[in-house]
Amino acid sequence: MKALQWQGVNKLAVGTVPDPELRNPGDIIVKVTRTVTCGSDLHLLGGYIPFMEKGDVLGHEFLGEVVEVGPDVRNHRVGDRVVVSSFISCGNCWYCDQKLFSLCDNGNTNPAITETLWGHAPSGCFGYSHAMGGNAGSHAEYIRVPFADVGAFTVPDTVSDERALFASDSASTGWMGADLGGVKPGDVVAVWGAGAVGQMAARAAVLLGADRVIVIDRLENRLDQVRQHVGAETLNYESDDIAGELRDRSGGRGPDVCIEAVGMEAHSPGPQFAYDQLKLQLRLQTDRPVAVRDAIHACRKGGSVFVLGVYAGFVDKFPLGALMNKGLTVRGAQMHGQRYIPMLLDRMAKGELVTEHLATHVMPLDEAPEGYRIFKDKKDDCVRAVFVP
Amino acid sequence: MTRTAKVLLIAGPIAAGAAAVAAGRRAKRRTPPRHRHVLTVYRPLAELEVTQLPGSLSEIADHVEIRLAAAPGGRGTEIAVRILDGSPITDGEVRRALRETRSLLEAGDVLLPSGPPTTVSTPLNRPLQTATAHGREGGLL
Repeated sequence: MKALQWQGVNKLAVGTVPDPELRNPGDIIVKVTRTVTCGSDLHLLGGYIPFMEKGDVLGHEFLGEVVEVGPDVRNHRVGDRVVVSSFISCGNCWYCDQKLFSLCDNGNTNPAITETLWGHAPSGCFGYSHAMGGNAGSHAEYIRVPFADVGAFTVPDTVSDERALFASDSASTGWMGADLGGVKPGDVVAVWGAGAVGQMAARAAVLLGADRVIVIDRLENRLDQVRQHVGAETLNYESDDIAGELRDRSGGRGPDVCIEAVGMEAHSPGPQFAYDQLKLQLRLQTDRPVAVRDAIHACRKGGSVFVLGVYAGFVDKFPLGALMNKGLTVRGAQMHGQRYIPMLLDRMAKGELVTEHLATHVMPLDEAPEGYRIFKDKKDDCVRAVFVP
Repeated sequence: MTRTAKVLLIAGPIAAGAAAVAAGRRAKRRTPPRHRHVLTVYRPLAELEVTQLPGSLSEIADHVEIRLAAAPGGRGTEIAVRILDGSPITDGEVRRALRETRSLLEAGDVLLPSGPPTTVSTPLNRPLQTATAHGREGGLL
């Protein structure tokens, strides 16, 4: 079958790889019909997460049709249209029972790497390096889905492929940021990043009853999407005084909940970015935490900061003093998709959550390397590139 | 991007990966055998017996001491394994056995890696492939 393979730092190619096989009795094989780029893939592409092997298949956010089922699968049949959580979870360990699915104890076949790096291992993820289990990704014609009764969800007939696709990761991740960040009716919520995850976090905050939701980015096409499809306010960090505006728009208090949806390759104007970029390139830090710093500074006293952006290692100049003295709650997580996908599909069916506008570029899988180039360089107002295998 | 930056971008992760593997190996050489490993499985103590534990933990049972205790707060059962003096069993074998047993007890199965493989072996891949070939044997458990 055809698949998009990582060939080295900043090198991608569509190649021919063996078809996936059922390996465990709870597996299904899915014929991928839509699979989409994610900003976190760029960390793999750029070599910031050095646990890739030449030939690894990328992709973790996808939708498709079940073509084969293992003998223990109960919830799915051949022909089902399913959207799949990007994290692989058993559904039975203590973490899954707490609905912290990306922390599953039994979903990562290589726990040693992340346990050594971080103290304990999160679960595995599709197409996201050997630190996350080395699972083949979704930018391919077919994919094996383990623990399918837990992680694959049948899509209602009334929800289009283009909408349901984003339940797989972007919408789940965004919703988690608002939910576990503790958004309540009446809150002022600030979201850093107007990519797909940031937009979904902002939409979740709106639907959870926030009084004001403000999204921060530098790309006007994305901020336009926020105003048009999310129903939130916007700020451009290249032209607006972000700290001043957030203070002003929250009556001087600062946002109650700050959601960071940017990640380890954050940009910002001015010397802070140059400093972080230099340290990153010299390997004196692994991540650029610009947006996290800003979120911690902007957040109201006693407020909540949720880190949705993907980080891999260590950062410099982390404002621990602000965190401690302002009494903040800082939380983060990889996405607990199994917790949110059924509810998200319901909301998608009701029209409360729309995502089609995120798929700015739809193209055949053969063009995936070009799709990643456009996506990475943010050319042609690209928000997400969707591949059709 | 400047040529220097490109070189750093490409060489950096490779160096970091190699350094991590090398550091891991050095640490492994320096670290004496742990002899005791413990994890928590999300099943009540009343359902488990030392002699009835599934998977590879039962295969090494003659060479280790296994103790079960109720975990606090309804978190299940703590399984502690002590490697007996003179036992041929390694720390890695105990880690793998504990992880596989937990997965069998909780999920009814042990997850296998994706297959068939899509990667090719290169000099740069080899340290990572060596590490992941024994993915359940390493770590801090």
